[in-house]
Amino acid sequence: MTKEAEHAIDVEKLTKRYGNLLAVNDISFTVRRGEVFAFLGPNGAGKTTTVEIIETIRRPTSGKVSLLGMDVTKKKRKIVRRIGVLPQGFSSFDRITVRETIRYYSRLFNCRDTDIDGLIELANLKDKSKEQFKNLSGGLKQRLGIAIAIVNDPEVVFLDEPSTGLDPRARRDVWDVLLGLKKKGKTVFLTTHYMEEAELLADTVAIISKGSIVAMGSPGELIENNANYLSLTLQSVDEKVFEIVQKMGFEPVNANHNNIKVRVEHPDDIRKILNAIKDAGASFLNLDVRKPNLEEVFLKLTGAALREDLAKEVA
Amino acid sequence: MSLRVIGANLIVSIKSFYREKTAVFFRIAFPIILILVFGTIFMNQDNVRFDFYVQDLDQTNSSAELVKTLELSEKFKITNVDPAINATQYAKKNKLNLILVIPKDYESSLIQRMKRNDPNASATITYIYDPSSTSVDTKMQILNSVFAEINQKMSGKPSFITPVETSILSSKYRFIDFFVPGIIAMAAMTSSLFGAVNVNAELRQKGVTKKLSTTPITRTDWILSNVLYQFLLSIISTILMLLVSYAVFDVSLKLNFWLPVFVVLDVFAFVGIGMILTRVAKEAESAAAAANAIIYPMMFLSGTFFPVEMMPGFLQKFSRILPLYYVNEGLRASMIFVDNMMALRCSVIIGVFAAVAFVLGIMTTKWEDG
Repeated sequence: MTKEAEHAIDVEKLTKRYGNLLAVNDISFTVRRGEVFAFLGPNGAGKTTTVEIIETIRRPTSGKVSLLGMDVTKKKRKIVRRIGVLPQGFSSFDRITVRETIRYYSRLFNCRDTDIDGLIELANLKDKSKEQFKNLSGGLKQRLGIAIAIVNDPEVVFLDEPSTGLDPRARRDVWDVLLGLKKKGKTVFLTTHYMEEAELLADTVAIISKGSIVAMGSPGELIENNANYLSLTLQSVDEKVFEIVQKMGFEPVNANHNNIKVRVEHPDDIRKILNAIKDAGASFLNLDVRKPNLEEVFLKLTGAALREDLAKEVA
Repeated sequence: MSLRVIGANLIVSIKSFYREKTAVFFRIAFPIILILVFGTIFMNQDNVRFDFYVQDLDQTNSSAELVKTLELSEKFKITNVDPAINATQYAKKNKLNLILVIPKDYESSLIQRMKRNDPNASATITYIYDPSSTSVDTKMQILNSVFAEINQKMSGKPSFITPVETSILSSKYRFIDFFVPGIIAMAAMTSSLFGAVNVNAELRQKGVTKKLSTTPITRTDWILSNVLYQFLLSIISTILMLLVSYAVFDVSLKLNFWLPVFVVLDVFAFVGIGMILTRVAKEAESAAAAANAIIYPMMFLSGTFFPVEMMPGFLQKFSRILPLYYVNEGLRASMIFVDNMMALRCSVIIGVFAAVAFVLGIMTTKWEDG
């Protein structure tokens, strides 16, 4: 297989500056065809800038970005026909209905055989197909935006923060639609600041902080490589427990309701802690052992990145 | 350029338009209301029966006959004032703008002149008037000419100079004939400029433009769609304005191919300006303010509501750099005077302006954010 055929997106040393502000700092990554790739980062990390450069909306300061084997700065007209985009904060014509909006975008792409009913069904908007855009709730608008993003049956779909600002229920509904896209085998480039979203949907996650990619891999790999520990929570402990654990060389953290949290490297450590508590005649009501999730990886990595920046500044 | 894309934009624009009732009112009904209101005001001026007051101090058959003569000269409605009161006080108190006072010796002077052939016998008629009233001058002029006619008849000789009116127009030219082409040009201008500014600034602010930039639509498609949509609206609104004008005021405007030519050039020019403004002004509000700053001088100084000749010299010069002036002049040249040369000259000037505005509009419209 050639490189172009295998990689949907190829980003090499991409940098974007706005005046003095360095929004994207020399990042490189590839997105394989057919995978769901999530760009995970806090607000202002450079997610949208990066995705908009790949979508041909913005121009890079330096670096090379190819999409489906084409240079995004040179082949805009060809590229836009083969991609679908849900921009951040998607909006459309206020007084045009759901069905009319889908038909409008289908005409822009000169698609004569768009399955409008199929798209309405995929976005779960059957009851709302005659509703005008201005009357839709935030979640419904986003789902319509996703339907429109695939109106031209694109090879790569970009979804920029598809569930930001939605309530948990509406967010779940959007995820259902995204899972539908995944099932169709589309290459999906997703930006989000919800760990849960990335963990649930993505094959590959790139964590971006302050314009740089700090980690990349499958959610499992990221957890394995960056958070190889267990979280032990002891509930309703008596006063002595904190001291006992501390003396053993661990770093317990006081949580609410007389709970303490301890991070341990090895399952054996848990047994040792429990024995020590038992030997001291102290007690606790309940315990909980949990593997870390992407959220903890994210906090750890972006926290580390912040400290690195500080270190650089001091140096 | 893609006809399918332009068609898709047109459908969306037209649906958005008729689903927004206030837009329909302002675009379609408002110009018609303007025509009806102004047309009615100035129509009445054509058939107005002036009224004024007479204080007949003479109270004789001769003076009564004079009042009757004035009344019969068709335009006057005369009310008598009690001869015993002070006419000046009465006029002030009742806000009357004209009282004509017939002197006490009117009949005796008349007899002196007619029967005894005394050339020195004369009667002095006094106008008591309010100079701040706008209609009083006209009334006094008409009265003067009636008196001149009476004097001339009394001299017993036929008049030497007899004026005859020959209009350069095939039929009588009235204010409404002047007004309707101006409103057609103004309606197309405001709709095109505000339409382009509002729609584009709003779409950009809401992020719809960003979405559009990831589709195959081009800037030319987009602006042509705007122009075509405004042209359709202008044609519909122009047809309705003309129907009302013919039906209600029986205007004598001539319709020929120049009408659509000027409407389309008007639309091109002001959609183009709208596109430039949208780009220059960052926020929707400032774009609308900039549009207003262009619309108002255009509306009042380019001969929409009243002829440019009524303005002082330097303003007349200024009006000649306003594009709407050439649309107004061109439309009037073709609809009133059927002056093809004048219409052609105006159409070339506005055509060049429209082409520049349109090209600049395309060049300044940006999809990408840089």
